[in-house]
Amino acid sequence: MDSNNDYRVSELDRHLVEFAQLLRTVGLKVSPSEISDATQGISMIGLVDRDKVEGVLQATLVKDIQHIAAFKEAFRSYFATLEQKEAWQKDVAQKATQWNEQMESTRQDLRFQENELDISEEQRAVYASLPEKDKQRLRDFLEKSSKGTRGGAPVDHSYQPMVERVLRGSLEYWRKRLNEDEPILAPGSMDGVLSEVQRALREREVEVLSRDLKKISPEEWPEVVRLIRRLSQRLASQVTRRYRQARRRGGLDMRATLRRNLRYGGVLVERSYRSRRKGRPRIVLLCDISGSMLKYTEFIWQFVYGLSTVVSGIKTFAFGEELIPLSGKFRKGQTFEAMVKDALLLTGKEWGGGTNLAKSLESLQSKFPDALSKQTLLLIVSDAQTLEVERAAALLGGVSRHVRQVLWLNTLPERRWLETPHVKVFLPFCQMYECYTLGHLTQILNKQF
Amino acid sequence: MTNQMTLDQFENKLEEIGYITERDDRIALTAYLATELGKPLLVSGPAGVGKTEIAKVLSEVFGAPLIRLQCYEGLDETKALYEWNYQRQLLKIQMGREHLQEEDLFSTDYLLPRPLLQALLSNERTVLLIDEIDKTDSEFEAFLFELLGEFQVTIPEMGTVKAKERPIVVLTSNGERELSDGLKRRCVFLHVEPPSVNKEVRILRAKVPDLPERLALEVARAVNVLRERLSLNKIPSVSETMDWAKSLLVMGKTGLDPAWVDATLTLLLKSQDDVELFYREMGAERLLFESSKVAQGERHVHGQQQ
Repeated sequence: MDSNNDYRVSELDRHLVEFAQLLRTVGLKVSPSEISDATQGISMIGLVDRDKVEGVLQATLVKDIQHIAAFKEAFRSYFATLEQKEAWQKDVAQKATQWNEQMESTRQDLRFQENELDISEEQRAVYASLPEKDKQRLRDFLEKSSKGTRGGAPVDHSYQPMVERVLRGSLEYWRKRLNEDEPILAPGSMDGVLSEVQRALREREVEVLSRDLKKISPEEWPEVVRLIRRLSQRLASQVTRRYRQARRRGGLDMRATLRRNLRYGGVLVERSYRSRRKGRPRIVLLCDISGSMLKYTEFIWQFVYGLSTVVSGIKTFAFGEELIPLSGKFRKGQTFEAMVKDALLLTGKEWGGGTNLAKSLESLQSKFPDALSKQTLLLIVSDAQTLEVERAAALLGGVSRHVRQVLWLNTLPERRWLETPHVKVFLPFCQMYECYTLGHLTQILNKQF
Repeated sequence: MTNQMTLDQFENKLEEIGYITERDDRIALTAYLATELGKPLLVSGPAGVGKTEIAKVLSEVFGAPLIRLQCYEGLDETKALYEWNYQRQLLKIQMGREHLQEEDLFSTDYLLPRPLLQALLSNERTVLLIDEIDKTDSEFEAFLFELLGEFQVTIPEMGTVKAKERPIVVLTSNGERELSDGLKRRCVFLHVEPPSVNKEVRILRAKVPDLPERLALEVARAVNVLRERLSLNKIPSVSETMDWAKSLLVMGKTGLDPAWVDATLTLLLKSQDDVELFYREMGAERLLFESSKVAQGERHVHGQQQ
């Protein structure tokens, strides 16, 4: 290199690289070549007009409609005034200090015989969010446990794991009660700008795609149904695409045929054929109808129903304690819940009780053997909370060998899978995805089809 | 610079040829950027918002012939890039020449260029429109990478063919399928939404010169309400709005009334499901009432930073 100029990065380049990093952090894929395009674009258009700069950056760095909202928030925050950025930074620092103080105070509160308890940071945060009287109850419990006796002798530190289990169970109950499965997380990024972007994105109501399905309000239904319809139309066009299968013959491949027959002076002695395409998958949908699942199932059913208007041969079953066939039971304008109730009336069964996937898979294999073939894509929608879990896993293993693929859409967040034994046993026998938002559903379908 | 044109000149040129843009839609800026950077322009958006029109307009602006490849499911390189002229090749073989070499058969004499290759072989700059790329499968998309990245293709029998004059490439997508990151990375991206009331009025006035202003405004507002308030399977396109306006003009109307909305609705809504939805959830009277509440330029966003 001749001089330091070769290494010198201009201020503009530095800002663009930083901005691209910010976009990556909020979920956009930005490659170096795109940053280079953005740089060239800016140098052509100039930096005078903020709106044009935003236009250039959007055209070169954003390649997906779903990312436009995140880009706009990132642009607004990154190119904000210095005062504004300092204010955000101050706010973040303040929140982090508060958080650390809270965590420290939980370490002091949650002890067994002066030993710190082994509980996660999220559980500590749940404790910190509790009303004072409930905190006091937990502290009283720990105090009593610490001073307790067993068989007349004081308990020792070997009782700590049991106390921790009880406390974790209690905090888990509170976590669900406080915010229905939303993680209570640390303040997150210490970067003021990033923190502002994340806050703004959380607040954007248009982000229906990233909201938990069970939190979608009735007035948002029309928009969600429109979105679902768009998604299912997109999927339908993908499902109906044909897939190559090299072993079977298709049309004559003239180019290859000519090449092979040059040696015969143009007489077509040997022929080459194009590879044939294989048929579309047949979809079998198994929907869990336990109470906690119903709202999710309703959405996913809407989606699959939208698909069924284009793709024929989708077989739908609900399962609780028993398997309930639903194919052909749907009437226009009817909800999934109403359809299941009608089907139960016909069979004389009751809604409620437990969930038994094992029984349902057995019924599916014995009563509907034609539904499961090498063309079948088995879609299971469930949070995996089932009776006879080991037997269900073994049966699913058997089924997975007879079908093309088993896709499990799990409404339980992925971060909880490993702490849920019920989920772990099914993982080897299917492709499992977390699926509690429309965004998840979209991503899964894009990967799969 | 590939265009020898500034952005302002480009925008003026668009105006000259009657293509209506707004600052907010960023169509002019993004199209200009794509041509300046020498990158393909990927245009996404619902059907009927004028994606294909952009390629035609660019063809007119730069005086470059338009070469169009309409994509469909199952499209492969023999239809898109090139095919060998098998009849001629067979004749050549059967002429019984001795020492016939394979390369004699696979030369430009026997090549039938399809749209992609036509654009590369052209001696003048062309606009290559790859329409509805989302209808093809991912293999075809991957096959396009070389063309979109380097403006060249490799023909196994002949080697690499480089573009004599880099074409302006426009790809359109209705979003039926997620396109690959590789393809998107190679393009400048533009998402086109249905036009605002203001813009649609300007388009109507430009394309249907005899249309009274009041009727243009009422038509544009009504169509805007249909697009925004109903979950239609297929929203009315700009060209359908134009057809509707023309038909009302032919009937001698100067404004909308419920009876004529009922009589001409099928010019806008093209499926029975959508027509039923319209009558179930809105109806002509309510459509006009809702339209009257739409302030001109309701969807216009000023883009001023706070």
